[in-house]
Amino acid sequence: MIPGSAAFELHGAGVVFSGRAALTEASLVVDPGEALALVGPSGAGKTTLLRLLNASQAPTSGSVCVDYERLDALSPEKLRAVRTRIGFVHQDLALIPNYRVLSNVIAGSLGRMGFVASVRTMLFPRRAAVERAAAILERVGIGEKLYQRTDSLSGGQRQRVALARALFQEPSALLLDEPVSSVDPARARDMVELVADISRERGITLVVSIHDIELARAYFPRLVGLRAGRVVFDGPTGSIAPRDLSALYSLEGLDRVEPARIP
Amino acid sequence: MTSRTAITTLDVEALRRARPRSTLVRVSVLALLALVAYAWLGGDIQVEDLFSPRRRENLERFVTTDVVPFALRGTDWNAAQYLEYARGLALDRGFSGLGSTLAISVLAIVLAACGALSLAFLAARNVATPTPFGDRVLRDSGVRSRAWNALAVVVRAALILLRAIPEYIWAFLLLAMLGTSAWPAVLALAIHNAGILGKLGAETVENLDPRPLSALRAAGGSRAQIAWLGALPLAANRFLLYFFYRFETCVREATVLGMLGVVSLGYWIQDSRAKQYYDEMVVFVALGAALVLAADLASAIVRRALRRAQ
Amino acid sequence: MSNPRASPDARRRPFPITPRIAVALSILVAGALAWMVLDAPFAKLVPQEGGLRVVRAFFARALTPALDYESPVPESTPHILMQALAAARRTLVFAAAGMSVALVLGIVLGFLSTTAWWAGDLVGGSSPLRRALARTVGPAVWSASRALIVLMRSVHELLWAVLFLAAFGLNTGGAVAAIAIPYGGTLAKIFSEMVEETPRDAALALRGAGAGPLQVFFFGLVPRAGPDLAAYAFYRFECAVRSAAVLGFFGFPTLGYAIAQSFENLHYGEVWTYLYALVVLVVTIELWSGALRRRFVA
Repeated sequence: MIPGSAAFELHGAGVVFSGRAALTEASLVVDPGEALALVGPSGAGKTTLLRLLNASQAPTSGSVCVDYERLDALSPEKLRAVRTRIGFVHQDLALIPNYRVLSNVIAGSLGRMGFVASVRTMLFPRRAAVERAAAILERVGIGEKLYQRTDSLSGGQRQRVALARALFQEPSALLLDEPVSSVDPARARDMVELVADISRERGITLVVSIHDIELARAYFPRLVGLRAGRVVFDGPTGSIAPRDLSALYSLEGLDRVEPARIP
Repeated sequence: MTSRTAITTLDVEALRRARPRSTLVRVSVLALLALVAYAWLGGDIQVEDLFSPRRRENLERFVTTDVVPFALRGTDWNAAQYLEYARGLALDRGFSGLGSTLAISVLAIVLAACGALSLAFLAARNVATPTPFGDRVLRDSGVRSRAWNALAVVVRAALILLRAIPEYIWAFLLLAMLGTSAWPAVLALAIHNAGILGKLGAETVENLDPRPLSALRAAGGSRAQIAWLGALPLAANRFLLYFFYRFETCVREATVLGMLGVVSLGYWIQDSRAKQYYDEMVVFVALGAALVLAADLASAIVRRALRRAQ
Repeated sequence: MSNPRASPDARRRPFPITPRIAVALSILVAGALAWMVLDAPFAKLVPQEGGLRVVRAFFARALTPALDYESPVPESTPHILMQALAAARRTLVFAAAGMSVALVLGIVLGFLSTTAWWAGDLVGGSSPLRRALARTVGPAVWSASRALIVLMRSVHELLWAVLFLAAFGLNTGGAVAAIAIPYGGTLAKIFSEMVEETPRDAALALRGAGAGPLQVFFFGLVPRAGPDLAAYAFYRFECAVRSAAVLGFFGFPTLGYAIAQSFENLHYGEVWTYLYALVVLVVTIELWSGALRRRFVA
């Protein structure tokens, strides 16, 4: 198990997709154990920023550091090790629907083992791994679904499976992309609260992208505002002026609003 | 970590025992594994025989002499004789064989499509029924509804029979009945593929969006009118996709059916095989492969265009 | 749905020729052309004297398949129904053995002929050795395996059988190889297409969690396409049974051999017995495969 929590740094990072800037000159420092929310309208570059932190996306300009190491200097093996330490819950969950919940959760640990060991683990998981998966599922509230097929679960339950998969990585940081977009408001609040609690228990870094400002203010001590691919504010939740928040969503000054989702 | 520390209050074992399982899938997997094990260990297949000295000698002769073109085996021909040899191999047999193979498969798939088109509607569960297209009001009388049910069963059974018997066996039987011409090969391919296209077509019609069709029925359309003017245009693209997919297999099979005595590439393969001219046989097999490739490519292009037009 | 290109002019025409009608018409024209090329006079569709005798004698036995041999056989010969059962068993055995090899070939070649295993990582520097590997060995193996697949599947299984007969002589291993090679090629092609078309979300998520290329492929992509792959493999098994039966015409001891023998001896009742055995075998597998498909895909 890797102790501690991850630190992230972006220095003037920009990402261009086929001629269109998804993120421009973004700088951000996340200290170990911090919890922060990325807020902003859809298409503001939140997903792209999270993908940079997860080393799933290379910046076209600027640099990304995880735990004080520049990602572009790392060998593929080191890069895999970095990704292994970072749990990512995707907006579309990215689960395998015809797997049982257990297999989806255990797939989170593949980065820690060689190919032969992973075949063994996926086909005949050890007792200890099954119990660890069960414990995590219990913690996120769907322990009894351990052996159910994933596509038999509700949307909210599936989201918890995706969270359990990320936690099964024993991550030192947890990244969540729009965890509230696919569930109703009450469940969204539960989910955000659960994630905040778990990361506090484990002392791990938490970065959540969220378009619901109220939820972000309620559960996160630090907010980073994104608009049209640029960081427009960054600071403790209490210090952000309501004017800044409302400006984030106004259409003024936005010549084009295009979704920045990556295929 | 110490062992046996309970990290979860869940009874994992009980959850595992209660997991939802499909008996069908489990039994199928076990049966297939048992079948494969039996196939290899049951004594019907002697793989080791392939490596016996006799087989190795046979293989050596085949590779070093049999397949070497006759013209290259130290003949003292003049240029005209070489030309004559190449012309006989490539033009007289090879290319004419290619042409008739292609013609057999084209005619066969067209006939198969015509047959399948009429049978598909009679096999579709939403057409061949007393209550077509979800019509719950204007039911046919008792006798006629029983007739529809019976017809659907007969047509479906016939389609199964047509496709259960391989093309090669159809051709073998037809050749004895019709004598030598292209017909046995054409009909054999047409019959087998009508069975397959008929089934695929029926499934397509069954999966059509029922709303526009039942609207036509409610507006007083007859069964035949709705089938030909409503369902057919809706299903046409799918039908064409299947048509070209089966055309590919027709070309493959048409080559082979010639081995029974119909003049396609297969005829020349069988002919050179009987004479043990394996060098020529390999040339004809390669020509057949080239034709299959060309047909695959053409069909893939058309299918992509159709899919884009959808 | 409205056709954006439909002009008022086209609407006035009594029979507008849409692309679809054009395709259908050209198909019919191609059929007519093919008929003209072929030696296929319509007179030949009607059985002549000898053929007519065969037709009458053959179909007379359609509903009365032979339950005993139609000519004296040596004392030790098993009953015809046992013979049919044994031929059906061997048909199934050849199909299963061929398919088991084809499946291995299909999975290995299907994997090698996708770009997933060598196309480089998006982020971070890589060692020069790895880069060289991704630039040379990867594409080389990829194109070689694709060429191999084309070669394997463009030659019909009966032609592979004929080639093996010429190269080795009559040998059961040759029959298995004759099925395994073209079926392996077809499975590899379809597998790689299915895997390339399957949603990549789960695979990308696993890569984001640190999984290596092999792990991403086998636990992120393949299981996502799993139900389709399994359904298709089973459908090919059904085809392999038919192919194995036909291999009998080339001397292998499957149902085709029995059919050819009995037909040549004019024992049409026996032919029907073996034909029905084949139909029962194929239909059973088709029903089984249909039940599994509904289970998997729906």
